This record gives sequence, structure tokens and C-alpha cells, in this order.
Amino acid sequence: MIKRKQIAIYGKGGVGKSTTTSNLSAALSDIGYTVMQVGCDPKNDSTNSLRGGKPIPTVMDTLRSGSNDFEQIIHEGYNGIFCVEAGGPEPGVGCAGRGIIAAIELLDNNGIIDDYDPDIVIYDVLGDVVCGGFAIPIRQGLAEQIYTVTSSDYMAIYAVNNLFKGILKYSGSGGGLLGGIIGNSIKSLAEKEMIEDFSNKTDSEVIQYVPRSPTVTKCELEGKTTIEGDPDSDQAEVYRELARKVINNQKKFIPKPFDVDALNDWGSTWVSRILLHQKTSSQGIQDDGSGV
Amino acid sequence: MSFNDNGGVKNKNNQKEEFTSHELGKEHVEAPKYSCALGGAYGTALGVYGLVPLLHAGLGCGLGQLFGQLYAGGQNAGGPVGGTSTATTGLVEEHVIFGGEDKLRKLINASSEVYEGDGFVVISGCIPALIGDDVDAVIREYKNDIPLFHINAPGFNGNSYEGYELFFEALIDQILTPLPTQKGVVNILGVVPYQHIFWKGELLTIKKLLESIGLKANIIFTEADGFNKLKELPQAEYNIVLSTWNGHRTAQKLEEKFGIPYITFPSVPLGPKQTSHFLKTVAQKLDVPGEKVDKFIKEEERRSYRFIEYSGDALLIARPHSYFAVVADSNTAIAINKFLVNEMGYLPDIIQLTDNPPEEYREEIIKALTEGLTSTIKPEVVFEPDAHLAREKLRDRPFQFLFASSLEANSAPELGALHVTVAFPSFNRIVLTDSYAGYDGGLRLIEDYISTFAGPL
Ligand SMILES: Nc1ncnc2c1ncn2[C@@H]1O[C@H](COP(=O)(O)OP(=O)(O)O)[C@@H](O)[C@H]1O
Ligand code: SF4
Ligand SMILES: [Mg+2]
Repeated sequence: MIKRKQIAIYGKGGVGKSTTTSNLSAALSDIGYTVMQVGCDPKNDSTNSLRGGKPIPTVMDTLRSGSNDFEQIIHEGYNGIFCVEAGGPEPGVGCAGRGIIAAIELLDNNGIIDDYDPDIVIYDVLGDVVCGGFAIPIRQGLAEQIYTVTSSDYMAIYAVNNLFKGILKYSGSGGGLLGGIIGNSIKSLAEKEMIEDFSNKTDSEVIQYVPRSPTVTKCELEGKTTIEGDPDSDQAEVYRELARKVINNQKKFIPKPFDVDALNDWGSTWVSRILLHQKTSSQGIQDDGSGV
Repeated sequence: MSFNDNGGVKNKNNQKEEFTSHELGKEHVEAPKYSCALGGAYGTALGVYGLVPLLHAGLGCGLGQLFGQLYAGGQNAGGPVGGTSTATTGLVEEHVIFGGEDKLRKLINASSEVYEGDGFVVISGCIPALIGDDVDAVIREYKNDIPLFHINAPGFNGNSYEGYELFFEALIDQILTPLPTQKGVVNILGVVPYQHIFWKGELLTIKKLLESIGLKANIIFTEADGFNKLKELPQAEYNIVLSTWNGHRTAQKLEEKFGIPYITFPSVPLGPKQTSHFLKTVAQKLDVPGEKVDKFIKEEERRSYRFIEYSGDALLIARPHSYFAVVADSNTAIAINKFLVNEMGYLPDIIQLTDNPPEEYREEIIKALTEGLTSTIKPEVVFEPDAHLAREKLRDRPFQFLFASSLEANSAPELGALHVTVAFPSFNRIVLTDSYAGYDGGLRLIEDYISTFAGPL
């Protein structure tokens, strides 16, 4: 038996957290680990592709019904992965942040995680660290390592920078530290370079680049992860590589986030570079100095 | 030493900030002498007989106010719809996460059947404001069925005094409609129920005084048909504000919306001089025939000065020309200071104001405390809502009398002073109809403070 590893995955909405997390869970499970994936997003779609595309009842649903039947909140998915969705209020009402806190407290205080005894728990946490609620998995070291998924989109990197601020804030009081950045939906070298540069400038590290791939979409439409739907694809191999790296990764960074103005300046130089790159690739015009 | 934006004092040597509580925006106040905005709005609502308050707030807000606002306001219970008889949504975690609107709907439905009220008011506290409940939308659903309005009064928005203004702002926006002006009718503003512990007596006294010169005062609170009194606010010829700052926002809003002009006085008048000045000023503004007013003033002054003479020996033999200190809200401090200095020949030592008034009113308040005094000695004026710091600032001073809240009562002997509870919180003095308002108010104050040393046999 190994010591249980708990990690949290953050990133801007739509950047590919749940896709990446589910593939990571599936790959880890294939290697032989027992995995629990906890979706911390009121959208509650984190574990869909581990369960044939179907949503599961959430922790919040249970809490709301006043039931103490916690069996209802754990649902087995692909290869016996324990799937949990925190859930939350409908858009525009109530406080989703408090929902996350309540769900995690419920899992923690009732010994539910211990009962199922997974080797690894992965929290898939919504977007920006907008308030204290979404910072819960970082605080008190609930997750010992934090990973962040980002594309080369400026706003996605902006969210990562905010996450770094959150990690930095709690780093002195036993909060979880950064395990690494996962660059997702990579389509060009320039995009990779932008994320690489961001990680260098913020004292962090990129653990894996995941290319943008139609295989992901195809499998998703079948309600499956790439690992399950197309295990022999190159993309599946990328996710397996990520899984091996994550399980062996002992690194813990205290990132050095940009302040807002500096990030802005940094972002605008990169955005023009990427735009130029797109132009050159679509019009076949060569960029200065990189010509043949 | 230099002051930073927060009012904190920066110590040059170690650059660490030492916050002083008399400045606005300070970080901490120990035992402040007010409750939260919800508490102020709630106390104000309870002052309106016939209005039923419903709290849309966390479980505990209501009970907290029973102790922190009502009992503290002169050991007063909440009445038939107050205290433990007030209905609340009692929000708990489930509502924080999923929103409290449904619970509120249920509360309104049930309450409108159970309570016999002329009107209802939903007072929202911290939780609905934090999670963004759309309370106004819920209230609109009852538009044609129940006379109902909503005060958004999260505690973090301000203190009890703020709650008083929020009450009236909500009322003006949601309930009041224009009415033809009634000549000789005035509204009385600036006395905050429970927070100004003598509110009942003060308002009734003002009503009687104005009646004596032929004016009709709408004092709203303590009137049998309070909800109608609220609705009648737009018909007044004038608004009279009895405070340097409380009720000002309300008066401004009533002026903007209904064109009612307003006159302000620094406090409820206390004793003959202040009361006569009050009546003369009001009479002039409202075209009350001078002879009638003069006649009334003359009779009342003759009577009250004749009565004051009865205390003359006790006063002159035992404690003439004594120094005194005040730790109270601005209204109370201004009235007591002027009376003791200008009518009793007492000497003002230090006056600490506990109501944390906004910056823009502070200069006026200092003026009201230091100008127009017959003594050459002026009081030191300090804004200090923190009970502990206020107590510390009372040490090693010459005052013999301490007019303060019940929180200072126990320290008075050690400070070598005689103590009278005149301000919030008043846990050691139950106040029903007592007040220091008007001609008799001066007599009442004399009774109270001379009784602290007269005797024992
Ligand atoms: N590497 C990728 N290649 C292709 N599509 C991707 C990739 N990563 C994510 N997507 C797609 O992007 C969309 C949003 O991803 P999702 O994981 O739900 O984002 P998040 O959880 O961050 O909100 C999904 O439709 C998903 O299939
Ligand atoms: S401060 Fe907020 S939580 Fe506390 S009593 Fe006031 S409204 Fe309720
Ligand atoms: Mg997601």
C-alpha cells in the first residue's frame, strides 16, 4: 500500500480540466491505482466521460435532501474509478463557493474517503480562484499538489496567475503547493513557447503538453475518455505519459505570480507573436529571421 | 507620527500601524456602542406600531438583536412582534448554498396569515446580501396582496444608525406616494429607536411641545397607527431633524422626492434655553403667531426655573461648578453638554462620542460641542466608539460626573466619578417614558445626577 496522494486540478472554465482529469484518472486506474475523482464545479460534468456520458447525483443533492446516505454520492465509473460530483446551486442563485466547502467537509468529516481508501484522489476544481470556497482544496493542504491546466489563451493564463496568487497566499500556512502546469490544446510551437515562458517567469514548471486532438472530441461524443475510447491512439499515450509523471512527481513549487500590469505587458508581446505566427502559417508568409 | 488613509497612526520607528478607533475605517472596535445595520433597521421597525418585521437573515441574527439592540436600548423588550416573537427565515448552510428566496416566500406566506399587521417589512441581513438573493423580486410578487417593503441591511454595510436611514430610504422608494401638504404638520426625524435610549419620551415630549404652539408633529414611533403615520410622511410642511447627522439622509431624500424642506437642530432640546430656542426657530419657519409662542415659552421657563431652584442647595452646597465628562452618542452629548454648561454652570472636561458619525458631519458636531458655551473652558472632544479605549481616555482627569452608558458604570468609582446612564447601551437603567427632552427634561437630568450624591440619610 502506498501513501494516499491527493491532488487538485485548476484552470479557467472550458480549458480542458475535466477532459484532462478524467483521462488522467483513467490512465492511473489502468496502471493499477485505485482512483477517486471529485468534481468541484456546480456544472457537475467532471466525471461524465468516466460514466458513459451520464451525470451522477451530487453531494449537494444529498445534502439538500437531508439524507445521511452517503453511499449515494460515490458512483463507480470506468475501471472502478470512484466518481464524486460536489454539485452546487443553479446558475445565478446561492453561493457555489460555500457549496464546494460544504461538499469537501462532508467527504472529509464523515470518513468517506477513508472508507473507500483510494490511492489517489483528484479534485477537478472550477475556474479561477474567485473566492475562499474555490480555494478550499488548496488550503490546509487538503491537496498536497496543485496542477493547473492552461491553453495559450491569455485569459486562461490570467486564471493560472490568479491561482498562483492563491497558492502563494496559503503556502506559509500548510497549503498545497504547485505540482506543475499542464499545457492543453496545443496547436503550434509558439503556443508551447508562450506557456513555457510563463512557467519560467513564474518559477514554475510545465509537466506535460497535451496537443489539441479530434480523438478527444470523438471519444467525448461516445461518452468516453480517450483512454477508454481509443487506447491505441497517440493522444492516449500522451495521457498515460502524464499519468506516469504525475504519480512520480514529488516537486512542490511556490510560484511567483506576475502582478497584473506586468502580466498584461507580458501577455501583449506574446499575443502579437502568436497572431503573427497564425498569419504566417495560414498565408504561407515567412516571419523575419526564421526563414529558410 | 503621521496619519495614514485609514486613520491608523504610523509609528516612525518600526513603521507598524497602531490603529486608533476614533478614526473611520478602523480595524477593530471593542464593545462598540451600537449594533449592525440590520439591528438598527429592526429597532426602527419595532418602533412603528402596526408594522411587522420579518428577518431574512442567519439563524441567530434576531436573537442577537434582542440582546444587542433591544435590551441594550434601555432594557426594553421587543413588544408583540419583536424579540422572540419576530419571524425569521433563519438561514442555514442549505440556504447559503442554494439561495434563500424560497424560504423567504414561505415565511411571507405564513406570516401574513399569522400576524395581524397593517404592514410588513422584510429586513435582509448579511447572508442574503453575500449570496445575492434577489429579495426585491420576491417582494414584488406580493405587490397587490400585502403591504410589504424590503430593507437591504447587511450588517457589514454599517451600524444601527445606518440601519435607521436604510429603513426610511426603503420606505420612501417602495411605499410612499405624494400627498397634498397639510399646513402646520411636521415630521420628526433623527431620533433612532432603541439606539437613542430615551426615544419614546423624547418623541412624545416634542409632540406635546409643538402641540402647545399649534403644530401637529408626526413622530411616527409609538403612535397607535404607526404604519399610517409612515404613509403620511409626504404630507408634512416641514421635516424637523433633531440630530447633527441622524435622519439627514432621510430628510434629504424626502426633500428630493416630495419637496419637503427641513430644519435641523443639533439634538433633541434639553432644558429651558434649548427648548425655547427650538420652539422659536420652528415657529418662525412655520409662521406660527409670535405671541402665542412667547406666552408659552414664558410660562414654561418661569415654571422650570422655579423648579430648578429647589435643587439649588443640594447643588451649591455639595457639588457646584463641577467638571463633567460625557461618553455618549452625538445627540445626547450635545444636549447634556450645553445644558450643564449654560444652565448649571458646570465645566466640560472631556466628551467622547460613541456613534462613529461619518467624516463629513464631524466638524459640525465639534462646533455644536464647543461653540456657544458660556464657560471659558471648552471640552476636549474625541470620537471613540471603542468602549475600552474610551475608558482609558477617562483616566487622570478632573471630572466628578460621568454621563455615559452602562458600560462605564463599573469604572466610575475607580475614576473617582459619579455615574449616570444616559446612552446606549443601557443595561442598568430601564427606560420607558423617561427622557431629558424639553423644559422638564432639564429637571429630570438634575434629579438624576444630584441623586447620585445627595443623601444617604
Ligand atoms: N486536448 C484536447 N483536444 C481536443 N479537445 C479538447 C482537449 N481538451 C479539452 N477539449 C475539449 O474542450 C471542451 C471543454 O473541456 P472540459 O474538460 O469540459 O473543460 P473544463 O473542465 O476546463 O471546463 C470539451 O468539449 C473537450 O472535449
Ligand atoms: S452583522 Fe450580519 S450576521 Fe450579524 S446580526 Fe447583523 S445581519 Fe446578522
Ligand atoms: Mg469541468
